[in-house]
Amino acid sequence: MTDIRPELFTGLSHDEAAALLELGSRISLSSGQVLFRMGSEAGTLYLVERGRIALTLPMQVCGREEDVLVEERAPGQTVGWSALIPPYRFTLKATAPLETDVLAFTRSSLLEHFGKWPVVGYIVTRNVASVIGQRLQVFQAMWLREMQRLVELRCA
Amino acid sequence: MEMFLMVATVSLLGMVVSVGLFAAATRDGGSPSDVRPEQPLPLSPPRFFLTDRAPAAAPPRVPIEVLLLQIERHVRLEQAAAESFLDSPTTKSLHSRTTSPLVH
Repeated sequence: MTDIRPELFTGLSHDEAAALLELGSRISLSSGQVLFRMGSEAGTLYLVERGRIALTLPMQVCGREEDVLVEERAPGQTVGWSALIPPYRFTLKATAPLETDVLAFTRSSLLEHFGKWPVVGYIVTRNVASVIGQRLQVFQAMWLREMQRLVELRCA
Repeated sequence: MEMFLMVATVSLLGMVVSVGLFAAATRDGGSPSDVRPEQPLPLSPPRFFLTDRAPAAAPPRVPIEVLLLQIERHVRLEQAAAESFLDSPTTKSLHSRTTSPLVH
């Protein structure tokens, strides 16, 4: 995490970011290992340090339920913002498609830190909102592209 | 005159025989309850012009592994297109064409 500035820490000073990093604990995932499952309680936020995290949703493919890739997170990016947003449930499944390291931050440790340092809490929360907003906009555009195809099929 | 009478007699005789045969045929038809409505012929739906061709063969079944790879590629392409739209939000970039095999 020394080379890449995490998106979650954008706007924080070096010392503020370093203090936050100390809250995290590293988790190493082997290829194919599940980080969290859809529907499970979200108590931990993750920063991808090395490797990749694939976010998938279940889909019926030829009568079989398959995990279909929805998004992939790279080093420096955040996974599991549901840990900070009620109702604290993961809405996707996260898997490491290759050997991956993540830094795990429990909600309780983050909220305690934000209580002591409200400005840091504000900046991090704003960054989380940015991650959520970006995902919303991407999916909104993807949905509209699919709608456009449906309409074209209907008009053909 | 004799010729005329002979033709008339033969015609009359032919008519009587025909009426007799017709009466016999209709009497053998049975009671009205036995009469069944004529079964409609199995007709294929009307076809005109291009639809007169034989229906196209079903597309070859794609192995599920290939299909999953196509879905993954489709998602990546669509995500890239959506992010490109967010960088430059125009109608053209929103509805840019894709090379995804799922669409073509």
